[in-house]
Amino acid sequence: MSDETKSCPTPSNAEPTATRSTVPMWVFSLTLVLLFLGFVYFDHHGGWFDERVYGPYASADQLDSYQPKSGAAAAIARGRKIYESNCGTCHGADGLGKPNQAPPLAGSEWVKAKGVQRLTHIPLMGIAGSITVESQTWNLQMAAMGAALPDADLAAVLTYIRSSWGNGMGEVTADDVKAARAAIGANPHPMSGDEMMKMPE
Amino acid sequence: MKNGISVFIAAFIALGASWCGFVLAPALQLGTAKQTAVLNSGDTYPVQRTGDATLGLQVYRANGCAACHTEQIQQTGIAFEVVLTGAGKNPDAVSNLISTLKLTGLTKEEADSANDKITAVGGKVETHLIPTGADISRGWGVRRSVAADYLYDSPVQLGSLRAGPDLADAGTRLNNASWHLLHLYAPQSVVKNSAMPPFRFLFETRKIGDAPSPDALNLPSEFAPPAGYEVVPKPEAKQLVAYLLSLHADVPLYEAPYTPVQISTNAPAK
Amino acid sequence: MNDLSQQKIDASCRVPLLALFGGAALWLVVGLLLAVIASLTFHKPDMFADCPVLSYGHAQPAANDAILYGFCIPAALGVMLWIFARLSQTELVLPLVPIVAANIWHLGVFIGIVAILIGDSTGFAWLEFPRGSSVLLFAAFLLVAISAVATFGQRKERELYPSHWFLLAALLWFPWIYATANLLIVSGHPVRGVTQAVIGWWFANNLIFVWLSLVGLGTAFYFLPKLAGRPLQSSYFALFAFWTLILFGTWCGIPQGAPVPAWLPALSTVASSLLIVPLIAIAVIVVKTVCGADVHCKGGPFCYIKFGSAAFLLSGLMLIASACPHFSRIVQFTWFGPAQEQLQILGFFAIIICGAVYELLPRIMDFELPFPKFVRFQHWCFMLGIVLLAGSLAIGGIEQGLKNYDLATTLPFLRASTTGLLFLLLGSLLFAANIFVMTLKWKLALIKSVIAAVTAPLEVSEVKP
Repeated sequence: MSDETKSCPTPSNAEPTATRSTVPMWVFSLTLVLLFLGFVYFDHHGGWFDERVYGPYASADQLDSYQPKSGAAAAIARGRKIYESNCGTCHGADGLGKPNQAPPLAGSEWVKAKGVQRLTHIPLMGIAGSITVESQTWNLQMAAMGAALPDADLAAVLTYIRSSWGNGMGEVTADDVKAARAAIGANPHPMSGDEMMKMPE
Repeated sequence: MKNGISVFIAAFIALGASWCGFVLAPALQLGTAKQTAVLNSGDTYPVQRTGDATLGLQVYRANGCAACHTEQIQQTGIAFEVVLTGAGKNPDAVSNLISTLKLTGLTKEEADSANDKITAVGGKVETHLIPTGADISRGWGVRRSVAADYLYDSPVQLGSLRAGPDLADAGTRLNNASWHLLHLYAPQSVVKNSAMPPFRFLFETRKIGDAPSPDALNLPSEFAPPAGYEVVPKPEAKQLVAYLLSLHADVPLYEAPYTPVQISTNAPAK
Repeated sequence: MNDLSQQKIDASCRVPLLALFGGAALWLVVGLLLAVIASLTFHKPDMFADCPVLSYGHAQPAANDAILYGFCIPAALGVMLWIFARLSQTELVLPLVPIVAANIWHLGVFIGIVAILIGDSTGFAWLEFPRGSSVLLFAAFLLVAISAVATFGQRKERELYPSHWFLLAALLWFPWIYATANLLIVSGHPVRGVTQAVIGWWFANNLIFVWLSLVGLGTAFYFLPKLAGRPLQSSYFALFAFWTLILFGTWCGIPQGAPVPAWLPALSTVASSLLIVPLIAIAVIVVKTVCGADVHCKGGPFCYIKFGSAAFLLSGLMLIASACPHFSRIVQFTWFGPAQEQLQILGFFAIIICGAVYELLPRIMDFELPFPKFVRFQHWCFMLGIVLLAGSLAIGGIEQGLKNYDLATTLPFLRASTTGLLFLLLGSLLFAANIFVMTLKWKLALIKSVIAAVTAPLEVSEVKP
């Protein structure tokens, strides 16, 4: 045993050297082939550096197509959340309104109108002066509560209001809100019920 | 290659490339992340943990829980399911059609075509997204884990080994504080054949004073302390349990969409 | 070159290397002891239920860090210093600096291990040491690197030998990754959220795979031709292996299903599959250099280096396999990962470093090993231990992945791995015995010579008139 620990110093005291035979071409070719395959793999699975694409989704487009459509149930659920934090304190979670605070939304002719233009204007501009709801006249102020919400959120909350509490009306789309914003322009001012009646439904 | 400097510079560039890719780029891309919106709701996600749960994360770290538990749900795919929500004006035609169609485990294209067919005869349908994968079928979570789940964790305890189950969604799956306390004190008292080491050092066995402590564990007889003694959790144990209960990764997000069951059932009446 | 100058070069390394190796040998024993303690939990889960210090979650990371930071890195730094001095054909420059550095380093490791055991770990794999200890390690590494680079600068032969590239890159890379990881995730103002995990994976891969590979291969490429008595085959292959290793290896480490945007794990998967290129090159170098050598190793240092090189190839293949999309679904989060790490750290790196230490120790001390028989015995212990440890963990890991992470099916394998650790512990005791007895003999000889010098009669010329 002791002889190899003793014997090694003699041949190996010299520093090691290296030969200069070259790397064969097939090794380089293999590297290039693997690099190409790697690129293909990354193209299929990498999501091209998009921060929202996680496996197993392959691309931002695919992920986008998988998002739940802004169908009724989805928008209503979202609208309810926004309603509860923005509108519910005055109009009530049940949409029945509160005396001396806000008129009801449940069954309101403003909500159940065929068109949505007047309804869309209310949260964007606010109300000043008298307004008649369900044959009762209210004389209150309402600020432009919805002006700060994104189009999609305001559309969702209006959809929720229109479809809840037995109102049974259809959807308000983000495009409706966008159109109303464009019509109001840069100079919103609160309107009274009579002024509003001049506008088409 | 005679020059040390040239080796040094070339190595610097080669090594620095990975630093740019795996340190700088993620820090720029993910480091500025904020709360995100939960899909189809006005909520933001995630919410800050409570004080006790934040301290509990430090108990989790100090005791090396991540040596045996991961906090990351894997997802290998997504399936679609078409659900009928209204029969419309022609219920017979709709139910005849539905009996001929496959409605679960669909691809996106199959779901769209089934959707079109049913809508064409007047039925109302919703398309549900169901994430798939071994972890999800084990019930460990409902969707894959994403960066947003860890926004407020420091240190982030992802773990790399599953000697025990994944805990990313433990607060949803096991939402009972006294179960957790029993499990920490004597794992086998609640999970037969559990190989988890007991964490008795997070508890105190003491003589019952004037009245039994309300915190005392209600242990089965073979794990109970001698008569006249009771086992009460130390603050660390309570914090750890608060942390475990705060582990929820169960909201749908843009980057990890799915259809939660409660939205369709809890939707307000029309 | 004559033997006298070689002796002077070797002697210049003596004290710094002893300071590095002494602590390293101790930490190897402590680390393996802690690993055995941690694995006792698989035999009797409630063994340490009342003793937090030795519970699995404390002992296991402490064991890993004691072996990696306590043994692997300082022992490798010692071997590096000697290789630089020998290849430069000059005496070690600034020999005092590494002596100081060795003490700082081992103090840092001591603080770190105690902190982990009492629950002050940072919670990041391979970065568990708290801030104070990391600062000491960082400073100590820089000091050793200064001495190594200064020695390199004094070299007489201007042409670089392949080992130079590997070792120089390692000297550059450790401070870089260690500072980055500590500043960004351990410091008082860590990055937010999952970025911590990304940097943690990047660091762990670059330390465990890239850094250990650079140093281990640099050492192997120095000793293989030296012990085989024939030149390395060839310089260009080594160059190719070096560049492909640092270009591809540094991008591995982000696991497939990680909760990060898809591009990160996808890049890692691509980089891991490209690692097959440096592995082929390294296999060619090792096989061509070793085969045809007319040297029988008989359990000596040559055996250590050969076994370590084979273990490196296997651990590299395991790394590639665990990044492969289909296989990774089975082995992710199983003991297959730790099996690969243990094979890399103990099977490849530790055994090559032990072989190198056995080879160079008699030269720098200028006397034979006190227990030469232990060299062969330790080789068998390590081989058996590593096969049992890594083998049972790897098979257990696959079993665990196929059986739903059910620990009950894995426990027999984990229990078998304890036997492997016991063999490794026995081997490490033999290693420590050789180092400590050698140091003791040297110190006794030193004291004797001092006493002799003091008691010797004064020369006539020195007597003042």
